[in-house]
Amino acid sequence: MQTELFSNTVWILVVLFFAFAIVGLFGNRLKPMLSGAISTVAILFSAVISYTTAYFYFFQDGMINGKYAMLIPFQHEWLKFSDTLVINMGIMIDPISVMMLVVVTTVSAMVHIYSFGYMKGEIGFERYYAFLSLFSFSMLGLVMSTNLFQMYIFWELVGVSSYLLIGFYYKKPSAVNASKKAFIVTRFADLGFLVGILLLSFYTRTFDFTTLLGPDSTAISSMAGLSFMGVSTISWVMILIFMGGAGKSAMFPLHIWLPDAMEGPTPVSALIHAATMVVAGVYLVARLFSIYIGAPEALAVIAFIGAFTSLFAAIIAVTQTDIKRVLAFSTISQIGYMMLALGVSGYGGEEGLGFMASMFHLFTHAMFKALLFLGAGAVIHAVHSNYMTEMGGLRKYLPITHITFLIAALAISGIPPFAGFFSKDEILVAAWANNPLYFWTEWFVAGLTAFYMFRLYFSVFWGENRNYEKKPHEAPVSMLIALVYLGIASAVVGFIPFSQFVTSDGIPFDIHFHWNIALPSIGIALVGIGIAAWMYLKPGNVADKMATSMPGVYKLSLNKFYIDEIYLWITHKIIFKGIAAPIAWFDRHVVDGSMNGIAWVTQQVSGRTKKLQSGQLQQYGYAMVLGAVAFVLLLLYWGAR
Amino acid sequence: MDRLSLLVLVPALTMVIIAMFKDPKKVRLIAAVGMGVQLIQILFLLFAFFAERNAGNTSEMLFVTDVVWYQSLNIHYAVGIDGISVAMLLLTGIIVFVGVFASWEIEDRTQEFFITLILLATGVFGFFISLDLFTLFMFYELAVIPMYLLIGIWGSGPKEYSAMKLTLMLMGASALLLVGILGIYFNSAPDGGQLTFNFIEISKVNMPMEAQMFFFPLTFIGFGVLAAMYPFHTWSPDGHASAPTAVSMLHAGVLMKLGGYGALRIAIMLMPDAAHEMAWFFIILAVIGSVYGALGAVAQKDLKYINAYSSVSHLGLILFAALMFNQVAYEGAVLQMISHGLITALFFALIGMIYSRTHTRNIDEMGGLMKVMPVLGVAYMVAGFASLGLPGFSAFVAEMTIFVGSFQNTDLFTRVATVLVVSSIVITAVYILRAAGIMLYGPIKNKKFEMLPDARWYDKVAVFILIGVITGIGMFPGWLSNMIFTDLTPMFERMGN
Amino acid sequence: MELSKFLIMRSELSLLVVILLLLIVEIFSSKRDQAALINLATGFFLLHTILGFMPGVEGVLFGGMYQHTALTEMMKNILNVGVLILLMQSSGWLKMDSNIGKVSEYFMLTMSTLMGMYFMISAGDFLMMYLGLELATIPLAALVAYNLKEMKSIEAGAKFILLAALSSGIMLFGISLIYGSSGSVIYTEVMGNMNMNTLQIVAMVFFLAGLGFKISLVPFHFWTADVYEGAPANVAAYLSVISKGASAFVLVTLLFTVFKDLFAAWEVLLYAMAVLTMTVGNLFALRQQNMQRFLAFSSIAQAGFILLGIISGTHYGMTTVIYFVLVYVFSNLGAFGVISIVQNATGKFRMDDYSGFYQTNPRLSLVMLLSLFSLAGIPPVAGFFGKFFLFAAAAEQGYYWLVIIAVLNTIISLYYYLRVVKRMFLERSDKPIALINSDFLTKTSIALSVVGILVVGVLSQVFDWISLYSWGM
Repeated sequence: MQTELFSNTVWILVVLFFAFAIVGLFGNRLKPMLSGAISTVAILFSAVISYTTAYFYFFQDGMINGKYAMLIPFQHEWLKFSDTLVINMGIMIDPISVMMLVVVTTVSAMVHIYSFGYMKGEIGFERYYAFLSLFSFSMLGLVMSTNLFQMYIFWELVGVSSYLLIGFYYKKPSAVNASKKAFIVTRFADLGFLVGILLLSFYTRTFDFTTLLGPDSTAISSMAGLSFMGVSTISWVMILIFMGGAGKSAMFPLHIWLPDAMEGPTPVSALIHAATMVVAGVYLVARLFSIYIGAPEALAVIAFIGAFTSLFAAIIAVTQTDIKRVLAFSTISQIGYMMLALGVSGYGGEEGLGFMASMFHLFTHAMFKALLFLGAGAVIHAVHSNYMTEMGGLRKYLPITHITFLIAALAISGIPPFAGFFSKDEILVAAWANNPLYFWTEWFVAGLTAFYMFRLYFSVFWGENRNYEKKPHEAPVSMLIALVYLGIASAVVGFIPFSQFVTSDGIPFDIHFHWNIALPSIGIALVGIGIAAWMYLKPGNVADKMATSMPGVYKLSLNKFYIDEIYLWITHKIIFKGIAAPIAWFDRHVVDGSMNGIAWVTQQVSGRTKKLQSGQLQQYGYAMVLGAVAFVLLLLYWGAR
Repeated sequence: MDRLSLLVLVPALTMVIIAMFKDPKKVRLIAAVGMGVQLIQILFLLFAFFAERNAGNTSEMLFVTDVVWYQSLNIHYAVGIDGISVAMLLLTGIIVFVGVFASWEIEDRTQEFFITLILLATGVFGFFISLDLFTLFMFYELAVIPMYLLIGIWGSGPKEYSAMKLTLMLMGASALLLVGILGIYFNSAPDGGQLTFNFIEISKVNMPMEAQMFFFPLTFIGFGVLAAMYPFHTWSPDGHASAPTAVSMLHAGVLMKLGGYGALRIAIMLMPDAAHEMAWFFIILAVIGSVYGALGAVAQKDLKYINAYSSVSHLGLILFAALMFNQVAYEGAVLQMISHGLITALFFALIGMIYSRTHTRNIDEMGGLMKVMPVLGVAYMVAGFASLGLPGFSAFVAEMTIFVGSFQNTDLFTRVATVLVVSSIVITAVYILRAAGIMLYGPIKNKKFEMLPDARWYDKVAVFILIGVITGIGMFPGWLSNMIFTDLTPMFERMGN
Repeated sequence: MELSKFLIMRSELSLLVVILLLLIVEIFSSKRDQAALINLATGFFLLHTILGFMPGVEGVLFGGMYQHTALTEMMKNILNVGVLILLMQSSGWLKMDSNIGKVSEYFMLTMSTLMGMYFMISAGDFLMMYLGLELATIPLAALVAYNLKEMKSIEAGAKFILLAALSSGIMLFGISLIYGSSGSVIYTEVMGNMNMNTLQIVAMVFFLAGLGFKISLVPFHFWTADVYEGAPANVAAYLSVISKGASAFVLVTLLFTVFKDLFAAWEVLLYAMAVLTMTVGNLFALRQQNMQRFLAFSSIAQAGFILLGIISGTHYGMTTVIYFVLVYVFSNLGAFGVISIVQNATGKFRMDDYSGFYQTNPRLSLVMLLSLFSLAGIPPVAGFFGKFFLFAAAAEQGYYWLVIIAVLNTIISLYYYLRVVKRMFLERSDKPIALINSDFLTKTSIALSVVGILVVGVLSQVFDWISLYSWGM
């Protein structure tokens, strides 16, 4: 369904790509500020287009006979395998993609502005902005993909821009390793994604979402009855695809790259590793949701992984002292929420509550988590340290940062009326409807979240004054703009009647409020905040006592359950020392050895036989005569046969 | 004089002219000009080709010239091109041209170097335009033998050993190939009639099965060795490590593709039945090659060894695709030949440039080079991303085409094999990023390196041309893939019956 | 019979005239004008060669003892060209003081052996053929021992004559058995009564043993290395090219005609001999240090390849054999030419001496390179075509395994040919052989062989010309 509507959205990609190209190629010749300006203008431009698109889609043209439609304003054949298997480069406009447009452009624009202050005077300023533009380009291309393969393509591009930005401080070995880790872990996950795509396309003979997700989709029917190892093929396929999502969204056990990714500049963490890229996995599942519905096993896996990850990450977040790592784990945990919500969701109307809740949470989370990171960035900018142990009493020095950070903290803890409350509430409702166990888990996690967020908040902004070598100063204007804007957003977006816009089947429905769910969640949140206040508001050693009282759990959590160590062991001891090095040896000594061996043997034979040529005349004579006789005998024997 | 023979004539003339000058400056200038002319006429050929096709000329081979050469064996000097060979010609033209610039700094026996280099190129050009197995084989050996001198004289390290090993293994392979070709010839007219070396004609007949079963392995292995088929790949690491830059580029970039091209176009296309019979065995070898090569690369410290093993891995992919009996996979194989040719050439060019500055290829001795030589550093990263199959670069297109094609085979064996092959691209990421991380990033290890110069103008020419083409194909693959796919159709259909 | 019939023997007669003229000239010439003598002799032979290409008269003489056909004429011409090149090559060497007073001998001996080969080729019966063989062999012994001052040369001469005597003994025995079993020695008559009986098989084997000695097929090859090593380079060249070529030709014609009906037997024999000859020749050549000895073994191996063409027994096969002989003449003469030039100029003959040869003598080392590549069968030089066609001939008759053995042998041979290339081009020596200037004739001879190496392969006309006159069983 080609349509002229919204065809201007193609300019989003074009502009961003050219911004990247220009700044990337000629950045070193331009003034840093100028290159920064180019990228920023580009992203602001796309933000404007996205906002207008959102408006027109949701309030004017999107609704086609009572249903938000999938529109394809632009489509171009890029690579053709067979008549049906074609990779198109196109743009798809539907509720979730429009929502993502808004999220990505908003956060990205804010980060662009913020970075003017934060990255001021850094070497490679223009490189930084080039990469930002590349990321925005890839991310928006991803969300607007019209087919699985286009999505995969931009998926990879997002991965690489994340790699580049994590490794921005390439002189720091830790940063280099972190970027490498991030890329390879996600790459490994994408292996599953790719195989999934190939299988799916093999059965359905198409990559196109319109065909895959449309009412007469063959996705499920084509694989009906097929199964592998007791699980239906469709579920295998969808689990493989989810693997890719899990990698990008740092779901257990593929989460290990995200905490290290904090080596990148803080605004990058805010943009990529909190608000946008890491939720790509959620977006992927949501995008293919109508197929996932046909693969219940896959959904079950997603729900379980989501729930487990959210708990797991929250526990770790409690004990981290590097503020960015605390936020990183909280991100993982929150994405766990979203995954769970998708996992427990049904399809259509009320059934699809989980879906809607997940998208809602994705939306709100993007706002307040980006805000948290940018706030943390402002703090780090002020005290030049990542460790909350070296902070305290900063509320006096950074008033605005303090306020915005508090808003964000309340939002993520699910305190009404801030954004997080509403979305998290819907998730809990959906979880309850599916399986109370999930509900209680997430309920507990909500408490943990409130606790570690306020632990962070109190020990940074309250507590006694550290003696800073030079007096911390409030962040420059460019950074404050971003903080304030996002602060307002985190405060109000919760009131958006999301179910009117984004639903599993595109048909709006009304949600009614469940006090029976809301009250306990608020309760546990307040408890968490209370404990945090008791432990960290006033200077004291309550926390240490607590830690020493249960050393086992504390150590496990502090060391992130040793997952990194396990990976390290597998990669270094098993894969590198156990496989790669032996293969290299085997190749040099056995395979190559055998080749040289042939030559060696020939040489030996020639060396041995050489002395037959003795120079003795009589021997030559014998040889001739005997040779002749031998031949005679040979022939006679032959004749006899 | 038909336009295809010019492709052999121009290099030949260039050699003659070079032979008249001793001064290195003049020599490399002439070489550059000659190969430039060559590249330009290839581009014109490409346009002419498209013009013909668009004009509706659907004959399988275009610009055909066919002259009887040796009556008694019905050997013809028969040249012609289709979409596949013209693509390979383009690849060769680019890499040879770039190779001249990559060997700009060769001071010792410059004249002889360029003559030998261009002799090699002549062989390759001749190979790709040949329609006659005899001339094809002749050009093949003509392309292989100069390697001995090029590596042996201008190489580094244990060059004499490597050169001898490489030559003997490749010529050994071509010896088997000779038997295979003779066998094909004498079975080229099973139901009476004129025997022929013309592989288009041969592909139209069904060779008797027992003949196929005897000659297919000979031919396939004969070509496979040049395509670094496991376990006959060991000439490649040593050879590349010892070879001078331009030679590594030409060899990995083009010469190894002769193997892939022949394996697909001669071995499999002419003897499909036997190929089907034995596919399982060679598929296993190909899978081992691609995975094992990648893993082997992970453990290497020498840049050239890393790249040599990655070539083993990527060519394993080509052979794998060639054994898939699926048109899309075949298209992927050809695309991969071109893509890998360009990328590996870029890699070797960069390695050569880095080596000529640091005088080491051991990544552990380097570090922080990105700071010192940003252009080369960035170019290396680009090459790396291209090689690990990032979208926007040619390798992605090629590999995806191969995978999509291979996935059309439903049996479990092929499925598992395919998944294994796909997994090799993850390992690729590992060794590429490992090398880049150690070599380019982090603090500058060796204080001496702080003063190293960045790319010179001729370096830039080489690097930018290659990057341009790689990204060009990566972003707009449509025309190329369509051209290859369409021209594969007649051969593929004949394989069916 | 009227004298005009003698025109059939034109080549023999003209050669005879040349020899006699030289004899006369030699009597009146003094020791001083060696050079003049050399040029004169070469000039005479040049005329003789040219005359050979004039259209001749086919026919049979002396009741079938002598026959002259287009084929034999062509073969003689090929030999003439070879000998001409060889004579020119020798000029540099003959001018050396050590050879003063022996120059004309060299020419006369060479030419008389050539005469012998003519008779071998044109023989119509075994006796004639045997006479020719002897005439071709005995003067050679003298040539081998030409450097009377050198122990090695004399020893080589002795070995050669003794073993040659033995081999002709064996051969005669074979011939006598043939006579006994078929009641005649005339080819055409013998051909009639060949019927695979044991006696005839024995006869054939012994007869072939004699020929095998001259072609130096294993196990009748042992003399080759020692004699080549001892003999002067040019004589070694003569042995390896001309006499081998002539004998090979005789072998193929006899097997295709007289022993036609014994094909089943000699097929096996040739198969075995081919495998042995190729393999042994290559394995022994692998580690040689002395250039002449090294080429001796390589020439043994080459003989093994020739058998692949013969075993096919086809018209095409005979063509390839003669073609290969022609190619081989040029290639081997090129290689031997360089060696003799080096040896005469510097007295160096070891492979190591050639290290860094290219630094000082680029031209000569390129000639060597081409010749070696041609011997190894690398395109685009003639050797490639020669080998390919030989293999094709064998393959055509389905001897694929034999071909496989042969191609594997070419790889071994490639290794040792490349060893020389390595010495000359790859290695840098601080004291390489100094720049050598050789006289005009030598240069021309080298040039001729290079032209041959380059042209014979690419111009298919040569092959067609040979194919025109050859025939199969």
